[in-house]
Amino acid sequence: MKAALIGNPGVGKSLIFMQLTGLGVEVGNMPGSSIELMSGTVCVNRDQKEWLDLVDMPGLYSLDGQGEKEALVRRVLEEPEVDALIVVLDATRFERNLYLLLQIAEYRIPMIVVVNLTDEAIKKGVTIDTEALSALLGVPTIRAAAAQGTGIDQIVPTVMKSAKVSAIEVPYDHQVEAALRSFQKTMGIGRRVGLQAMQGISQDPEMLEVTAMVAEEIENRHRMSVNQIIATNRHNYAHTLSGQVLSTGAHHRPFDLDRLLTRQFPGVPILVGVILSMLLIVFSVGSRLEDLIVWGFTTYLMTPIQGLLLPPLAAQLAYSVVLALESGFGIAFPYIFTFYILLSILEDSGYMTRAAFLADRAMHRLGMHGEAIIPLVLGFGCNVPAVMGTRLLSSRRERIIAAFLITMVPCSARTVVISGIVAKFVGVLPALSIYLIVLVLILLTGVILSRVTPGPQYGMILEMTPLRRPKVGMVLRKSWLRIQEFLMIAMPLLLISSVILGLLGFYGVIAAFQETTVPISEGLLGLPSYASTALLFGILRKEMAFETLAVLAGTADLITVMTRVQLYVFALVSTLFVPCISTIAVLNRELGVKVAALITAYTVLLGLGIGALIHLLMA
Amino acid sequence: MERSCEEDLLEAVLCLGTGKWCSPLGPLASRLHLTPEELRLLIEDAVRAGTLTREEGRISLTGKGQEIAVRIDRRHRTLQCFLTEMLGMDPTLASDEACQLEHQVSDETISRLGTYMARPAGNPECHRRCNEPGPGVRTLQSFDEGTILRVSTIRQWGHYTRLLDLGILPGEEISIRRRLNNGAVVVRVKGCDIALSPEIAASIAVEQIR
Repeated sequence: MKAALIGNPGVGKSLIFMQLTGLGVEVGNMPGSSIELMSGTVCVNRDQKEWLDLVDMPGLYSLDGQGEKEALVRRVLEEPEVDALIVVLDATRFERNLYLLLQIAEYRIPMIVVVNLTDEAIKKGVTIDTEALSALLGVPTIRAAAAQGTGIDQIVPTVMKSAKVSAIEVPYDHQVEAALRSFQKTMGIGRRVGLQAMQGISQDPEMLEVTAMVAEEIENRHRMSVNQIIATNRHNYAHTLSGQVLSTGAHHRPFDLDRLLTRQFPGVPILVGVILSMLLIVFSVGSRLEDLIVWGFTTYLMTPIQGLLLPPLAAQLAYSVVLALESGFGIAFPYIFTFYILLSILEDSGYMTRAAFLADRAMHRLGMHGEAIIPLVLGFGCNVPAVMGTRLLSSRRERIIAAFLITMVPCSARTVVISGIVAKFVGVLPALSIYLIVLVLILLTGVILSRVTPGPQYGMILEMTPLRRPKVGMVLRKSWLRIQEFLMIAMPLLLISSVILGLLGFYGVIAAFQETTVPISEGLLGLPSYASTALLFGILRKEMAFETLAVLAGTADLITVMTRVQLYVFALVSTLFVPCISTIAVLNRELGVKVAALITAYTVLLGLGIGALIHLLMA
Repeated sequence: MERSCEEDLLEAVLCLGTGKWCSPLGPLASRLHLTPEELRLLIEDAVRAGTLTREEGRISLTGKGQEIAVRIDRRHRTLQCFLTEMLGMDPTLASDEACQLEHQVSDETISRLGTYMARPAGNPECHRRCNEPGPGVRTLQSFDEGTILRVSTIRQWGHYTRLLDLGILPGEEISIRRRLNNGAVVVRVKGCDIALSPEIAASIAVEQIR
């Protein structure tokens, strides 16, 4: 048997899912969609080998609409993939949640209802009569408070035994009802299909032609679009239902943190403080962990392999593989994992939506919306997940702008280059000046892109998720899933490209490359000729640029072989120049070859241009 | 020229009464900027053409006339909507311009414009000429924090369906929780706080309850 969890965003579906399935979770994509569905299995009865497959659907507000998420969920519901639905409702936002439930009921799939967050509702003085609700809907209803773990144990037995098709039907406007009846007679389609077809959602062009005509007639009479009529009917019915089961009592109003968080003052300073302290924590924790991991790799892998006295080609290959693994783990766990933990805390606490609201104005200047601050901040950890995070932006235009800017954001690897070269040998102020230069370039690029990128610009409509204390388990699990995603994309690429670079070095291609790029490295940027090789290795992982430079220079004390200006230029160029190979791959996957190539070309030109400019000014 | 005058007349009859208009013809004449004599001639022409009927001084649209009037009215609304919403023209100027264009433009163009704007023909924010918005239309942005309002109309944008899903519909009671000085607002609808960027807030017309 297969069941799916469905509900509004932020109703605690994921928490319920986690409590039911434990750790064995698969993240997979539906064919033809980039949205991920989490699935897992629950053991119902070990002796009789009874299992329940559980899918966690993305949170949504409505099943209508042209969005990718909505289309995906509709597809899952239309195909006989799931046997039962577990509809999760938020007791504190009950009426709005019923709106979605009424739409789900139209699919006539057996379901049960879980009224979650009853603990928070009680604090607000709201009680919901689940028995009355159960009678109205004709399906079993469970009271739950997932954060406390109450009611969760009833879910699986109830869905296995007594899930039912709900008898509830929204009474629509009489003209809509008449149209639905006539569709049924003439085309033999049910209520749900007819309603969606009138809103332009169907695969059948002939049906759409008929329904569009009827819809236009209704629109002309009501002076209202059919979507609006249908939505109004559903909301009104949800209101009536909610009135029959929900009662509000007295409650004391606790101090409203939003008084601080969503005002320009002190909201904006708090936002800046949060982001800065987040980055600071990531780097102080990250650099220590990284030292540990690199030390581990050197002592337990690199040195023993060198001691094996392998034939030169095999030694080179082994070295390349270990280097790739070291790169992957050395950046993934210390920096990205730490960053994800902090980010998950911010998301689960509900602060992210406040940040998006406050950042809306600034992001607007860059041609995006407040929501774009989330992937941009992600970019400081690692560009790869940040580019994946652009999925939550609503238009392709915004996604392209965001991807451009993200690839310029100094990720943790680039910070290692800046701190390892500039802060150490040149000074802290010059290191900060690199950040400043990059920031200015990001802003300029954003302003220009917002003028030239084609496509319409939409506004932001964002539900403020309630402020809550994040759950440790959820935070760790979310971070773990995300880091898995990173390793899946980055690791194979790192391995392949590291081996290829190793082989190229082995057969002397790198040396030839170094020769041919002398005009650029020495002439344009005023760097030693081996700098170009170091920059090339930076494509693998940004901080490889720094490590390779030290190897090629023959000393870790770089200041003895290069001038301060040279070190500064090198760090600046490698920060701006070409996103790493994993970022290019994810850009290609998310936005297509064209955009990926454009961004790569732009950053190469920008890096070389700014580097040459600094060289000219300083020389 | 002859045809466009007749079309204007039919459209005006449609707007001013629900298909019927009684004498005196004053309001009709002033709306069309005609003298009563010119109007009388025009009506006679229309009656001959079979688009209007006149009984005992009352004029009303025939089936054919109704059809033409509805079509012209739709063209007018779509064009006006396009000129104001998409091109940012002044509403009065746009209305005059639409008056000129509506007679020449093809139905194909109109339906394509309609699709382009992703607004169905009967959209409430493309105001009919007859119920032009009063001068005092106020949007979400013009009220202070804490005010309780009722949504009257919403100008449609790409995200419109999301507003519907969240319950921001004409007739819904909402309150303003936060307003930043750039015009972005947080409103409370059905017990949930929804953040809206300035351009969305500006497209939601409201009236104050208290």
